[in-house]
Amino acid sequence: MLTRADLAKYPFLNEASDYIKELGISIDDIASPDFSPVLERAEKRLEEALSKGRVSNEFGNENAEILSFPVSNLILSLTGEERAQRRFALAEAKRAYELLRQESPEKLDYIARTTFGWKLNKIDAQPGKRFYDFGISLADYLRNSVHLKEPKWKLPNRILDHGLVYATREELARLLEEEVRTKIVDRSSRLPGEIPKPLQPKVERTRGLITKWLGVPSHYELPRVPSPEAMPPCVKHLIDDLAEGKNVQHMGRFTLASFLVNIGAGEEDIVKAFKPASDFSERMTRYQVEHIAGKRGGRTKYTCPMCTTLKTHGVCYKPDDICSTIRNPLSYYKSKARILTGKGPKREPS
Amino acid sequence: MNQAEQVIRQKFQQYYLDPKRQLDPPLNPSEREYGFLLFNGKFMVRHRSFKDPLSLLTAVRDLVPSHVYFSTAYYREPTAPMEEKGWTGADLVFDIDADHLNTPCKPDHDNWKCKACGTTGNGGAPKLCPKCKNDRLEEQTWLCDRCLQEAKEETAKLLEMLYTDLGIDNEATRLFFSGHRGYHVHVYSKQTSQLGEEERREIADYLLAQGLDPQLHELEETSVGGTKLAEGPLIGQPGWRGRIVAGIYDILGSEMDQIGLTSTQVHALKSWDRENLLRKPFWNSAKGIGISTWKTLVTKAVEKKSAKIDTVVTTDIHRLIRMPGTLNGHTGLLAMKVPEERLDEFDPFTEPLAFHGQMKVKVKVSPGFRLGEERFGPYHDETVQLPSAAAMLLLCKHRAEPIA
Repeated sequence: MLTRADLAKYPFLNEASDYIKELGISIDDIASPDFSPVLERAEKRLEEALSKGRVSNEFGNENAEILSFPVSNLILSLTGEERAQRRFALAEAKRAYELLRQESPEKLDYIARTTFGWKLNKIDAQPGKRFYDFGISLADYLRNSVHLKEPKWKLPNRILDHGLVYATREELARLLEEEVRTKIVDRSSRLPGEIPKPLQPKVERTRGLITKWLGVPSHYELPRVPSPEAMPPCVKHLIDDLAEGKNVQHMGRFTLASFLVNIGAGEEDIVKAFKPASDFSERMTRYQVEHIAGKRGGRTKYTCPMCTTLKTHGVCYKPDDICSTIRNPLSYYKSKARILTGKGPKREPS
Repeated sequence: MNQAEQVIRQKFQQYYLDPKRQLDPPLNPSEREYGFLLFNGKFMVRHRSFKDPLSLLTAVRDLVPSHVYFSTAYYREPTAPMEEKGWTGADLVFDIDADHLNTPCKPDHDNWKCKACGTTGNGGAPKLCPKCKNDRLEEQTWLCDRCLQEAKEETAKLLEMLYTDLGIDNEATRLFFSGHRGYHVHVYSKQTSQLGEEERREIADYLLAQGLDPQLHELEETSVGGTKLAEGPLIGQPGWRGRIVAGIYDILGSEMDQIGLTSTQVHALKSWDRENLLRKPFWNSAKGIGISTWKTLVTKAVEKKSAKIDTVVTTDIHRLIRMPGTLNGHTGLLAMKVPEERLDEFDPFTEPLAFHGQMKVKVKVSPGFRLGEERFGPYHDETVQLPSAAAMLLLCKHRAEPIA
C-alpha cells in the first residue's frame, strides 16, 4: 500500500519506524559523514518548526526524509523543552495535513487504520449537497474533534448515523492532523535521559534556537497581583451576579472559585467575592475554597473548567474576541493580562 | 433520627432482610465503588467495594441505607482515596428526571417556601423568592402520572437516538426506573467506556442539540436569478437532518399557535399539506413561507425532538448512581430494571411497589395520587389507614407522620 515516497512524506507512520529498523542503524552511525544529509535535514526541520511553526516539504532524498524525523524528535526531546516539543509536533502535523488532504480515500483509510487504529468505513454518501467519503467511528471522531473549535466540528452539527460520523476526505485529513500531533508529542516524552555523544552539539545548538525563537523559559505566567480588568466576561458576570445577590448555580460558583484560586487570589479575597450571595455561609465557603485550592480532601488543586463545559452548563456569557482564541477562562486571563501590561514572553503558538 | 425516619428504616430493614431478596448489582461489581446514604444524620458511607453480590447484600442488610449507589466508573482500587483509585473506564450514563422537565401539572403537586420570609407558592421553585429576592427556597415535589409520562417520552427519544444515531447496541444498554421521578439509561461498552469528560459532553450536547446550527445542516437561502429559494435537509436523511424534518411534521400537525409565528404564517402553513414534507424537496412549496418561518420551525423542531437529559450526570466520569433493586429513600419505591421493549407499558406506580400490609399515618397535606389500581387523597390534616406502599410514600415525602 505504501511506497518509500509515502514514508518520506509521513515519517511518523509505523511503517517508517519498521523501515528504519530494517536498515539496522544505530545512534553512533549518526556521526559518520554518510549521515550528514540526515543531520542537516533534521536541523532544518527543527529550525523551521521553531522559527515559523511550519516544516517545508523536501522530496529529493527519501532516506534523509525518513531518518531525519526521528533524529529531530530525539534532539528536541534531549533538550527537555516541552513547549518546543509541542511546537514541533504541531508544525510536523500541519505539514502532514497539507499532504494528507491530497491523498486518495484508500490511502487515508489505510493510514487511519494501521497507524492510528481507527475504525472507519468508506461510505460514499451524499445526503444533501456535500459528498462524504467516510464514516468515522464515534469514539475516534470525538477523541480528535474535541480539540477543534470551529462549530462545524461540534457533534450536533455532524451527521451521525449508526455510530458513524460522516466526514469528507479533507475533514478526515484534518482529524488525522490532530492524531499525528498527539502521536509526536507522546513519542517525544519517552526517550533516553543521557545525551548520545554525536548529538551533544546539536542539542546545544537547538537549545539556542529555542531561546531565540520562543524566548527564555520564564516563570511569568500570570500577573502576580490578580488583575480584575483581565478577567473574562463569564467570570466578571459571575462576580456581578453575586454582588447583586442573584442566585448563581453550582457550576458558576465552582468556575469562579477555581478561576480565582488559579490566578493566585488570596483565600480571603475569594471568600469575600461570595459574601454577597444570599445563602452565604463563611464556614462552607472557606471549606470549599480550601478544597478547590487543594488544601483539603484529595489535595488536588482544581483547574478552571473548559469553555466548552461552561457553554454546556450555561455559564459562558457574551464571549468577546479574545474568547474566540482560547479554550479556558484562565488562558483568556493570561492573554488579556499580556495585552494590558504589554509584556511577557512570546506567545506560544496555538 | 426522627420518628418517621425510624419507621421508614424499620420497613426498609424488613424489606432487605427477606431471605428471597436479591440485589441487581452492576457489571464488573468488584471494580466499582459503592456508597450508602444512611438515615442516621444523612451520613454518606463511600469508597466501599464488594467482591460479590452476597457481600454487598450483607452490607445493605447491616447498614439499612436510605439510598444505595455505585460508581459508574471502574477502578483498579475502588476503596482508595479518589485520586489513587486508578480510573480504568466508566459506563456512559443518562439521567432523565421530571425535575428538569417543564410539566404543566407542577403547580398542582409541587410547592415551595422561602426560608427567609416564609412566602409560599405552587409549582416548581423560582430561582429567587419573588417577595424578598432570597434564593434559599425549600421545594416539595411530588410524582404524578403526567410527569412520569413525560419522563418516559424523553427516555424513548433518548433510546431512539442512542440506537439509530450513536449506533449503540441494545444489548449494551440497560434501562432503569429511578424509584422517584425519572429513568436512568446505562451503556456498557468498550467503545464508550474510555470516553473522557469532554467527549461525553459532546454526546450530551448532541442529544440536547445544544449548539446545533441549522446552517451546518444545509438550511439556507440561495438566490437563483433574483428569486430567493430556501433549501434544507430532507426526511429520511440520517441524524439530526431527518429528525429536524420529522419534528416540523409533528409541529405542523398540532401546536402551531404557541410557537411565535404570526397569524398569517400560521394560516399559510395550515392551508399547506404537511404531507409535502415526506415527499421531496418541499422547502419552497408552501406559499408565503420563507426562510425565516422555516428557521423558527426548525428551532422548535429541534427543541421538541431533543432528549432532556441531565448533562451533569452524563459528563461526570466519577459519578455515583442509584443501584437498581434497592429502595429509593425519597419514595419507598423500588429502583428497578425496565426491559426496553416494555418501557411503553411500564407503570411506575404499580411495578416498583415494595411494601405490603396496612399502616396508619397522620397526613399533613398531600395531593391526590394513584398506586396500583387505587386512588388516594388529596389529604389535609387527617389520620388514615392506608396500604403500606401509600403510607410509606407519604412518610418518605415528609407529607405524613407515623402513628405510634
